[in-house]
Amino acid sequence: MRDLIRVFWRSLLIQASWSFERMQSLGFSYAIEPVLKKLYPDPGEYESRMRLHLEYFNTQPYLASFILGATVRLEQDRAQGKNPVADIRNIKTSLMAPLGALGDSYFWGALRPFAAITATALLFTGWWWAPLFFLILFNFWHIRLRASVLFWGYVNSGDPVDLMDRYRFTKMAKLFKVLSLSLVGGIAAILPAWSTTFRPLVPLPGLFLAFAGMLLMLLFIVLLRKGGSPVKLMLGLVIVCLGLAFLGVV
Amino acid sequence: MMTLFDVHMILAILGIACIGGLIGLDRTAAGQFMISEPIVSGPLTGWILGDIGAGIVIGTVLELIWVLDIPIGTFVPADSTFSAICATAIAALGSTGAAGPSTIGFCILLTTVMVPCTMMADTIVRKRNARLADVPCASLILVYAGITRAHLKGLFFFFLKSFILFLILVPAGILAVQGLHQLPGFIQRGMAFFVTMLPLLGMAIIASKLSTTVLDGFLLMGFSVAVVAGTLLQAPLILVFLLVLAVGWLLVRYRDQA
Repeated sequence: MRDLIRVFWRSLLIQASWSFERMQSLGFSYAIEPVLKKLYPDPGEYESRMRLHLEYFNTQPYLASFILGATVRLEQDRAQGKNPVADIRNIKTSLMAPLGALGDSYFWGALRPFAAITATALLFTGWWWAPLFFLILFNFWHIRLRASVLFWGYVNSGDPVDLMDRYRFTKMAKLFKVLSLSLVGGIAAILPAWSTTFRPLVPLPGLFLAFAGMLLMLLFIVLLRKGGSPVKLMLGLVIVCLGLAFLGVV
Repeated sequence: MMTLFDVHMILAILGIACIGGLIGLDRTAAGQFMISEPIVSGPLTGWILGDIGAGIVIGTVLELIWVLDIPIGTFVPADSTFSAICATAIAALGSTGAAGPSTIGFCILLTTVMVPCTMMADTIVRKRNARLADVPCASLILVYAGITRAHLKGLFFFFLKSFILFLILVPAGILAVQGLHQLPGFIQRGMAFFVTMLPLLGMAIIASKLSTTVLDGFLLMGFSVAVVAGTLLQAPLILVFLLVLAVGWLLVRYRDQA
């Protein structure tokens, strides 16, 4: 248990030396180092195990905890002679790509935008503590999952089917994405009355302004679908805004 | 220029470079607790420099624009943390009193132009980090503690990258903001209008990445509920958003059961 807690704290720095060639390999080795030192007091044995973990490794940083938990368990079994032929390299490489895709889609593609949009909606109501709400909402899920998947990986020796059954990542990601889209629609209706003071909007914009805002947003979506990047669209928007100001429209 | 960059200003720039460097670590290298997200780092910088209003506007706008720029594989996304902290610092330090909408718009534009520079700096650090593993790889027995030392060096390089960028680009931005005040009135009006339009662009970026269709059903539902409850029935805004979330959740449940 104490070993796992040490691995958890170290896993928070798994990307400290992220590089294009080895990605998180040094971070993975750093996280598992105390366990290996304890299990393999012989320097030769320690070196051979550490060399294995210094090989290429990359996955979603939060779900790397699951692979770390599984690796700790398999290394312990191997050192104690319970499972001397465990193919740890194969388990790591077979888990890192699917967990990377799953974690990217869940944490970066669903939970983070949901937390950001909810916080933005709160800001529009004049609630200035919304950034703190964003942190609490995101980290409530993040820290809980990051810690629990480490222990779960240890308990089930890295069975991904078990992980999927327990945490329902796909279903939750879909829910967060749908709720985010609903909130984006809701915010679009009140956005034309927004000002940079972030004071509560009283009264809300009329029907004409609400629909004008929605139409403009749809126009931006069409331009993005036609290959426009955020930077290009921002620069284009500046030119349009300066043009309107020059003509005296705004 | 000498009066602009007095001791207080230099100390403020040094301080924000240190704090920005530390917050920047949360982006990739340490923890990833999302303190580095613009919606948090912008207001935090604004609060430190005495203009929390500018920090909230800049942070929120940049969050909406960059939140779905995802680091997949070797792709290095735009450094939205740097943009938020740098834009807020320039707006707060370059204005007397609270920064106005035109200054805020100009600062967001400045840091958007800086995006390629920050991405290049990030790429250099990540290439440099590849050499860190060479020492422990060469001889693990000789360098028994080499893993920890080599790994934690990466933290220092990530910090140094942000620190240097802030030291160069914040003063450059402050000088540019001084120039903005000398420009014709229509440019200031244009910049103010630009910042009011940016959240709409941010929402469009999010919607285009979360849905495969231009007019998504849930987007339309959220809009319709907000128009009916907010505009027609004049319900309080917090109630409008709760209603949007509740209807969205019910529709998902209904769709799953169907």
